[in-house]
Amino acid sequence: MSSPLVLLPGDEVPSEYLPASSSAPLRLGAGLRLLSQPHPTTTSSSSTQAPSHVLTATQAGILSTDTKRNALSILSFPHRRYIPTANDLVIAQIHHSSPDYFHCMITPQAPHAVLGQLSFEGATKKTRPMLKQGDLVYARVLSIGLGAGAEVELACVNPATGRAEPGGLGPLNGGMVFDISTGMASRLMRASSSTGEQQDGVAGLVVLDELGKKLEKAGGFEIAIGRNGKVWVDCSNSGDVAVKATVAIGRCLTTIDEHDLNPADQKKLVSRVLRELKIEV
Amino acid sequence: MVAPSATLSTLNRADGSASYQCPSTGSNILGSVNAPVELPGRRDALKPEDATIEVFVKPGTAPAGVGERYVEGIIKTLLGRVILGREKGYPRRGVVITLAVIGGESVGRGDPYLVLLPALLHTALLALLSASVPLSMTFSATVLAVDASGQIRREPSAEDAATAQSVHVLAFSSKGHLLLNESQGSFDFDTWEKVRQRASAICHGTQLVSADGDVAMVEDVDGRPLEGTLRETVEDQVYRDYNWKINAA
Repeated sequence: MSSPLVLLPGDEVPSEYLPASSSAPLRLGAGLRLLSQPHPTTTSSSSTQAPSHVLTATQAGILSTDTKRNALSILSFPHRRYIPTANDLVIAQIHHSSPDYFHCMITPQAPHAVLGQLSFEGATKKTRPMLKQGDLVYARVLSIGLGAGAEVELACVNPATGRAEPGGLGPLNGGMVFDISTGMASRLMRASSSTGEQQDGVAGLVVLDELGKKLEKAGGFEIAIGRNGKVWVDCSNSGDVAVKATVAIGRCLTTIDEHDLNPADQKKLVSRVLRELKIEV
Repeated sequence: MVAPSATLSTLNRADGSASYQCPSTGSNILGSVNAPVELPGRRDALKPEDATIEVFVKPGTAPAGVGERYVEGIIKTLLGRVILGREKGYPRRGVVITLAVIGGESVGRGDPYLVLLPALLHTALLALLSASVPLSMTFSATVLAVDASGQIRREPSAEDAATAQSVHVLAFSSKGHLLLNESQGSFDFDTWEKVRQRASAICHGTQLVSADGDVAMVEDVDGRPLEGTLRETVEDQVYRDYNWKINAA
């Protein structure tokens, strides 16, 4: 692969970087927009031509092309704020409850998102979960509304099938939440969702595999990753080392996020943190 | 000419941040951007389809006063032309930019901020890029002082600016448009035209006059164009953040 192309806002995407196949329509991801340029010519004969289109970047970052989906997007800085997008999985915190909805916080200083009282798997008026202020839910962004100031709607259930799809959606009981950067969250998502065994981990992350191996004897752990830069960890199976193991996992993830460690250093960090917390592996 | 030095994403809690060392005044400027955030009581803004931009300039040692309000207005107007406030998630939300001036020669109370203005603008731009706020283009700015003999001096110190005949701040977009022109003192149009050409050469490294030996000489005096320096700063940070991806490929 050639060296990655870094674009700044206003830069045009060079045509040789566009995916070659023309059968499927080109999908534009975050950080790109399509501008039409009127022809700069003055002759009347060319005025009948269609205006030419250019793709320009609106954010700074690496241009990433996905030839399979025929998609283009800009990978921007990992510390940016999360902006809700339909079908993203997020960890939301209940702020307050109203007759029809739970009002949840996805990111601080952003308007509350609404989560229907009945949009949980198998929920009826009698069996709906009674969530209190501060409780956590793992939810999918259902819609982000149209126009300015629209409300973001979350759901813990697929409205078509009535089941929690993908699995694990719903209230998160116990455990602890750690803040990570949004870039790290999407890396963890890719690392944990891929099934294929690779030598050096997916997206440069081996920390989850490593922690899983080391904590297997202690009872393993559960993890949920929200695209909004939150990660929930629960080790309630681990018995008396549950708290220690939770802290260890959180410490590993936040340190890797902060210092951007490579796979070898991640393995070293995991061993060091477990040793410091006196967790036997 | 010493190139300015800058780092991106220096603050942990802000959505985007940048620190910028201004070589001429020695000031260090720390900028942070939070966007898009909910602004209290702004739901009925004048432009409901657009983002509201708020700029705060904080001097290091004194409470903000008239001079800061004035320069905040200038920065806000310029950024309003560059930020795409209608992108997803931005309408009716706020883009809050805080610029703190740390160290260097302090600006007197009520003084215009012209000498520091390019540094403030660059810091704001880098912080916005670091926060991934959608922008239509980037820009670069410079300050020039013209003394009594008509000599143009690039990025003067505060004393030089005080004794100068006129001081000009010009900002150019990455596409070459003149985005901002703030001038102070007495000058005629010929002087301004010379100032504009010099500023354009500083920002973009090319002059609008036909290429001859003169252009090369000007570039030697001004060193690398500012735009290139800013771009390199951003690229460095991108390469650092995506180390894992680039190494894997």
